[in-house]
Amino acid sequence: MNREHLVKAFSTFLLLIIAAVLIVALWIRYQIQPTTRDGKVAADIVQVTPDVSGWITSVNVHDNETVKKGQPLLTIDQSRYQLALAQAHAALDSQRIALAQANRDDRRNHALSTLVDTETIEKGEEKVGLLQSAVANAQAALSLAQLNLARTVLRAPVDGVISNMTLQPGDYLTSGKEAFALVDTASLRIEGYFVETKIPAINIGDKADVRLMGVAGVIHGHVESIAAGIVDRERDKSANMLDNIQPEYTYVRLAQRIPVRIAIDQVPKGIRLIAGQTASVEILPHPGEAAEQRSWPW
Amino acid sequence: MIEQLNIFGGFVSLGLAVAIIAGILTLVAHVVLQRLRIDRFFWRPILLDLTLFLSFWWGLSIMVNRFLPLLIAR
Repeated sequence: MNREHLVKAFSTFLLLIIAAVLIVALWIRYQIQPTTRDGKVAADIVQVTPDVSGWITSVNVHDNETVKKGQPLLTIDQSRYQLALAQAHAALDSQRIALAQANRDDRRNHALSTLVDTETIEKGEEKVGLLQSAVANAQAALSLAQLNLARTVLRAPVDGVISNMTLQPGDYLTSGKEAFALVDTASLRIEGYFVETKIPAINIGDKADVRLMGVAGVIHGHVESIAAGIVDRERDKSANMLDNIQPEYTYVRLAQRIPVRIAIDQVPKGIRLIAGQTASVEILPHPGEAAEQRSWPW
Repeated sequence: MIEQLNIFGGFVSLGLAVAIIAGILTLVAHVVLQRLRIDRFFWRPILLDLTLFLSFWWGLSIMVNRFLPLLIAR
């Protein structure tokens, strides 16, 4: 009887210890390890915007085309800008002619200074000065007309892939209004949104494994940077510039998420990175890291 | 670490999916162990079920992480 009691006590105690250890192990695995399912493939998007307005006369690229920096994307109707250039040329010529004549008059006045009164000489000099300014002005106008004409050819500002491009010849573009998006492929990266409780276990330079949703193969990268701030959802500015702090305080609080930027080191063959794709990110441990911040080495 | 499992298009947390499988395994183990009358060695047989469930959960989560990528790669 006593022996049976002893066995029962020992085995139950053993079970308790095993259960406690497993609970801790599972807790670390699912709650502490710096991993997240909430990640995205991100890239800088250039909003390609024309600098001059006009009809599109030719479109040189199509949707989803890969383009190089400086490559002509489309051309805006040049007629108006060519006319403006001709006008600027003519204006410059006329000012130059007027200046040449004023110079001749001025030289003559100076040569005959004993016969010509001082007022006439001064007026002649003034005219030369004014016309020199007018020529400079006309030259600037000519440069502007040349710039406007050059800007009718819309060029790729960076290497990338054209996205959401539906423009056709005949469409009208307004200067300063975005025409389409260009995904800057050099800036492709992974943004992992980690709960704030896991941030202490993440260091700049840590290796990271990234898996895209439903895609076999692991993308290798490293932590490039961690966001310096996120919005405080409980604080607003009111109309009179005073702070408005939300009075509610929930008992069940969700950890906020902080973006961690993962630079991509190596992408397996056949995996295509598309800005916006969902990704899971796991930050790998580095040697010498405090054990309590990390999972057990299983 | 694999974080999610695709079940007919819906992605669920792998931890949850593994926990469900561990629960089913625990039920089976419970029936088998009951037949073997193993509960006579414990004061609280439910503690054995709990420990089994946790062991299955933990063990499966490691096995899935180790072997699932190899399976997919093939």
